[in-house]
Amino acid sequence: MNITLWHFLAVAAALFGIGLVGFLTRRNLITMFLCAEMMLQGVAINFVAFARYHGNLHGQVFVLFILAVAACEAGVALALFLSLYRRRRSLDTSDWQELRELGVPPTVDTEPLEVVKEEPLPTLTPAGARPQPTAEEVARV
Amino acid sequence: MTLFALTKTQEAGGQIALAAILGVVGFFLLLPRPRGRFVPGGIAALIGSAAVFGAMVYSTFGNPASDVVGSVLFWLFSAGALIFGTVLVVQRNPARGAIAFAFVILSTCGLFLLLAAPFLMAATIIIYAGAIIVTFLFVLMLSHAEGPSDENDRSREPLSGGFAGFAFVGLVLFTLYQTSLAHLPNDGGKDKEQHTPHLPMAVLTPEERQTLANAVVKLDEAEKALDGDIGSHTARDERIVAFDKAFTLALNDLSDVVGGPYTFGPSPQAGTSPAQTAQIRDGSLHQRLFVKKPTTPQAKLYREDQQALEAIERAARIRGLSEGTFKKVEDNLQRDTPDVSAAKAEVRKLRDEVVILHGMGQLPARNVANLGFILYADHLLAVELAGTLLLVATIGAVAVAHRKGVTQ
Repeated sequence: MNITLWHFLAVAAALFGIGLVGFLTRRNLITMFLCAEMMLQGVAINFVAFARYHGNLHGQVFVLFILAVAACEAGVALALFLSLYRRRRSLDTSDWQELRELGVPPTVDTEPLEVVKEEPLPTLTPAGARPQPTAEEVARV
Repeated sequence: MTLFALTKTQEAGGQIALAAILGVVGFFLLLPRPRGRFVPGGIAALIGSAAVFGAMVYSTFGNPASDVVGSVLFWLFSAGALIFGTVLVVQRNPARGAIAFAFVILSTCGLFLLLAAPFLMAATIIIYAGAIIVTFLFVLMLSHAEGPSDENDRSREPLSGGFAGFAFVGLVLFTLYQTSLAHLPNDGGKDKEQHTPHLPMAVLTPEERQTLANAVVKLDEAEKALDGDIGSHTARDERIVAFDKAFTLALNDLSDVVGGPYTFGPSPQAGTSPAQTAQIRDGSLHQRLFVKKPTTPQAKLYREDQQALEAIERAARIRGLSEGTFKKVEDNLQRDTPDVSAAKAEVRKLRDEVVILHGMGQLPARNVANLGFILYADHLLAVELAGTLLLVATIGAVAVAHRKGVTQ
């Protein structure tokens, strides 16, 4: 028994689902965009698998159209990110939640972000006495 | 065991549900959050989910083990796509996410190659290489590297988001499971071979391919039988008898697939049904592919495309050649000045035709040419629309990104 159509369909469904999870849960616009592209790839695998198993090329032609649509989507989406970023200085989608549906409570981030404690840079202990500025030395930068 | 006597549907549903729940738990634990992120547990849950998913695909749709290289590549590419897809979803750093996305694209392109779509593989790599580089530029330009941030370290509703995605996958898989078994007779799963999902019929079945390969080997032997001393008439007769023996064996094999005017094996019994007589006359390939109109439910996925027509035509050509070849070789050897190389060339001509039929694939070999032909013959309007869409998107992108009221 060989790899059948169903194996490819199952993988494509899983890829689409993972992309869906990412698109629904992530808040970075760029990551959401990549997840949407991944969902398109899942659909493309479906099309090519059906083309292979029906013995014609119409499915592959549709994947070409998917590629064209994905390219358009990338262009418009990245332009939108740019103009959104100019207004809020952030890629966070929750900054734009006043666009939500009427009657839906706003999301509030209650948990504080963990603060990364950075190690201070190493310093050398000063050797000798600190030089005292003298009167004739006017400008010490 | 009676406690666990589930029907096959319940078993598959249970497996799918288990895989989906493990997936939800894994993504819930892995998605970026300020607190409560448990990476080892999440990875373990996802590995469990993948194992259950693989077991479900294996037990339902069958083990793809007979084609070793193909199945290894299939599992490699599909695992690559799913693993790097997961990394993209759960990765905090968008730049690393873009790298993971590049690997998802590469794995998908591998799957495209396995599905006989080389042009799409190349096109996808070229287009997405550009897309990923641009995404990278945007990540470098727009995201602040220093410190944790709202957009990278928080997720919106990790539990319900994960549930939505995996419920979708589970439902799709369950539908696939039911569709793959819908046409099968309900015999309680006795015959595993019959439970393989129904697919459009192949141009050549594996058995037919094997038979054709055997025929090629036997034709080679028949050609070899022509070598040797042809000085005297007795020696020539010996050669002819040896050739006849080997050639008949080859024709026996060939007639199974492409058919023949008469059978070379035991003569047909008196009680042969008309269908069996037709099978002997036309061969299994013609019988299977040459369906005028689907009459039975089994013939639903019949072929009428160019590839199937070419296979039928080539089979007919081989049938015609195989009838004439023996006569020509025999005549040649019985002449006063026999020309062995010409006789061999006759056998070789037949052999080449059989080899071409043996190598016939499911799809046309000239992928790009056929793709272009279909694109401009059948989907011309869609091509125009896609072009217009690209133009509109270009103008739209410029308009959206344009800085209003700012003069440089």
